[in-house]
Amino acid sequence: MNDDRFEQQITEAVRDYHRPPEAPREEMWAAIETERRRRRTAPRIVVLRPVWRWGIGMAAVLVLGIAIGRRLQPAADRTQASSAAASTRPGDGLAYQLAAAQVLTRAEIVLTSFRADARSGGHPDSQFLDQARDLLGSTRLLLDSPAGRDARLKPLLEDLEVILAQIAVLSASRDTADVEIINQGIDQRSVLTRLQTANPAGLAPGHAQGAI
Amino acid sequence: MDESELISRVRAGEPAAERALYDAHVDRVYRLAFRLAGDDELARDFTQETFIRAFERIGTFRGESRLSTWLHAITTTVSLNGLRKVKRFRTRETALEAADGVAGGVRSAEPDLKTRLRDAIDALPDKYRTVVVMHDMEGYTHEEIADALDMEVGTSKAQLSRARAKLRESLADFAGEWVS
Repeated sequence: MNDDRFEQQITEAVRDYHRPPEAPREEMWAAIETERRRRRTAPRIVVLRPVWRWGIGMAAVLVLGIAIGRRLQPAADRTQASSAAASTRPGDGLAYQLAAAQVLTRAEIVLTSFRADARSGGHPDSQFLDQARDLLGSTRLLLDSPAGRDARLKPLLEDLEVILAQIAVLSASRDTADVEIINQGIDQRSVLTRLQTANPAGLAPGHAQGAI
Repeated sequence: MDESELISRVRAGEPAAERALYDAHVDRVYRLAFRLAGDDELARDFTQETFIRAFERIGTFRGESRLSTWLHAITTTVSLNGLRKVKRFRTRETALEAADGVAGGVRSAEPDLKTRLRDAIDALPDKYRTVVVMHDMEGYTHEEIADALDMEVGTSKAQLSRARAKLRESLADFAGEWVS
């Protein structure tokens, strides 16, 4: 088929696609005014998206873990906290293990989905980016918790933080080159493989093994 | 009144300036929303939501692009998000109808070119369809599309080219009639 002819036919034919009528200006303006008045007077109800619910839940688990840890840790131990790589008390590490397992599992899902999208030429949508930002917050919380002092987990969390931070700022650029750089980072640091093999139960050796 | 003065007055909350801004842009916003939605009621909803958001967020408009570009960016976001919700709802409804054994209308066995073209455009991924609508139907330049959709000019051109390739593929059996 002749390309120019096709383009011309398409251009002519598409003009009929969803051909708009005249804009009902006054009706829409009246509706806009009514809706704006309603929004100004209506009480604000915050509806959390599912990803935020997850994030808040995980943050709550972390905060609870920190609180339990501090409560169970004697005052003398607290002064030596910097030298303690991991807690040895039952119950102390369990909340962190749970939170770490949740973060690592979600990170694996997010990164796998990111790579799949990139392979198919797609760009992450805003909901996905929200999820990555939320996960970034959880990862940072985890790094600040005792889990972040675990010698095996810390490098993985730090690499994950970098990758998630790169994904989180993608919305502004929408550049496929950025997506490619992030994918290279995931490959070079073997982040997905390490996520798959990470065993957060190892956080507290000798205690609560297999709890997750 | 020039655009920057109009924006200042809208920021100050002057009702007359809000109405002037609306009058200056509503036709193009509605046209774009209607082209994307294909439905008057939805197009009205999307247009109204576009202006409500614009008035709420006019303080964040930095003037780096034209006001029309900023408004069209809001229109495409509102319309595409709204259409996704409608699609999810309709998919559920269709599934329920199928489960109840309620069949839909009878489809024409040999749809004409316009119907085929409409279906082919409807089937395009959102990003391609939006560029086709803006460029081929509403006459936006690639620069305007790139600004409104926050992408590079080259990406806009590439997406239009891919969209046309997909349309060509979908309408291949009409090719003979067209070139005859």
